[in-house]
Amino acid sequence: MKRDALLRSPLPMLVVLALAWWLVVPALKIEARYLPPLGAVIADARSVWPDLLAGFWRTLLETVIGFFIGAALGIAAGIGFAQWRWLERGVFPIFVALQSVPVIAFGAIVVIWFGNTLASKVVIALYLAFFPIAVNTLRGLQEADPQRMALMRSFGASSRQMFLKLSLPTALPTIMIGLKIGLSLALAGAIVGEWFGDTVGLGVMLLQALYFEQVPRLWVLILTCGGLGTLLYGGAGLIERRFIWWRAE
Amino acid sequence: MDSSMATPSIAADHRPAHLQLINVWKRFGPPERQTVAVRNVDLAIQPGEFVTLIGPSGCGKSTLFNMIAGLIAPDDDGSILLSNKVQQDYGLLGKVAFMPQRDLLFPWRTVIDNATLPLEIEGVSRKAARARAEALFPEFGLEGFETHYPHQLSGGMRQRVALMRTFLFERDLVLLDEPFGALDALTRSMMQRWLLDVWAKHRRTVLFITHDIDEAIFLGDKVVVMTARPGTIKCAERINLPRPRAASVTTTGEFIDIKRRLLAVVEEESLKTFGGATLA
Ligand SMILES: Nc1ncnc2c1ncn2[C@@H]1O[C@H](COP(=O)(O)OP(=O)(O)O)[C@@H](O)[C@H]1O
Ligand SMILES: [Mg+2]
Repeated sequence: MKRDALLRSPLPMLVVLALAWWLVVPALKIEARYLPPLGAVIADARSVWPDLLAGFWRTLLETVIGFFIGAALGIAAGIGFAQWRWLERGVFPIFVALQSVPVIAFGAIVVIWFGNTLASKVVIALYLAFFPIAVNTLRGLQEADPQRMALMRSFGASSRQMFLKLSLPTALPTIMIGLKIGLSLALAGAIVGEWFGDTVGLGVMLLQALYFEQVPRLWVLILTCGGLGTLLYGGAGLIERRFIWWRAE
Repeated sequence: MDSSMATPSIAADHRPAHLQLINVWKRFGPPERQTVAVRNVDLAIQPGEFVTLIGPSGCGKSTLFNMIAGLIAPDDDGSILLSNKVQQDYGLLGKVAFMPQRDLLFPWRTVIDNATLPLEIEGVSRKAARARAEALFPEFGLEGFETHYPHQLSGGMRQRVALMRTFLFERDLVLLDEPFGALDALTRSMMQRWLLDVWAKHRRTVLFITHDIDEAIFLGDKVVVMTARPGTIKCAERINLPRPRAASVTTTGEFIDIKRRLLAVVEEESLKTFGGATLA
């Protein structure tokens, strides 16, 4: 039973990939510039362990704070749009236009406004997370089945009850999709935000590794960023499976 | 009006009706491309009566129900009276227990939480609502399924949950829109007998839509036949089969006589729908 679950998890594939990396690089004499040997990458990770850990926590913190504020604002905006059509018509197109401004163009301004602080990364992360969450909240709230709404009205439901007992639960799976997209974007936002200047963080380390052409370090950071993303996404998936398992019929 | 002197059927006509429809119309769409869904419906239902409504598909039965439930406003031509009081547009919301054609259970709620939804909306405390629902579980054949989710139930069970939800919304007038339409024949006939038991115990006024003549006769005190669209009342027939009715009543001569008469009327209307469709 336990072994079966293990076999069906991604773990065996990871082991296979690591083995392939470990064996193929020396066998094919691949240049370290393109793909360093696995051993070199592990050794490098051990040498920068304290920095790596500090960077991991810092980037995680920026991502999580940015994500939660972005999620709160995005859900609130989605609810507002769903509630008041004039708000959707007046404000939503502006959000769409803003969304198409690349973060890079907009990052410089954020740094001028907030300096090289945690806040500037949080702002970029939340800016990226906000939009998909707002759009999915709006879409989800519009999915409530008209016949179920009629049933609720026949029971004498108020608009508040209609929202809490029908529209919101109907929307949750769709909102969850937005939240997962928002989470990945928040991580990207935090890393890119660090490129505008800071001293701690995975993004900072990435930029430094690139500057000094520390190829094993780049791979250490790629793997660490991947790990961080997987951790966040996996956590979201767990919450989803536990609490928001239903689908629209 | 001394009802004690009168024969039962006339006495029934003199009691104040529980629900009365007077010249009810419903037209959809702009004047130039108008669909008349319901036309000139007059109908009176006595307290505690079980009335079945039968008519070809698309003749306006559901539209009529939506008006009685207060979900859509009838056109200005006529009026709907509940216990002799004329109802304003949407004034019937919250006054009638309405069960739509689909079960419309909420997938994120357990069986018991689905059943207590109307009580929750009325502001009954969670504990009291659950206690009232729990008392009904054996009667509705759902014992042991309280904490199941709708997707874990069969069609017949889902329908019973929806019926329980309708019954827990304790209104004297109950509207059931083809509640057994999607069930297989065996389950359906079991549910019919079961519904009659429940009705005998709770004595609500029931208006029941079906497109199955046997079902209409087996259940009803009165069968009302609607015409093809635009739907109006074609005729009504009182069913004097003794109650409680067993399944075997459907093979009696009396039942078959009634069925033969009604079938002729219903066929005529169904043919109109069919003919209209082929001509169009
Ligand atoms: N909201 C609506 N707008 C336009 N036409 C409608 C609407 N609701 C029902 N109709 C039309 O009214 C007619 C009666 O529909 P319905 O009451 O659902 O019939 P039934 O329940 O008897 O099958 C149908 O032709 C349907 O297309
Ligand atoms: Mg219908």
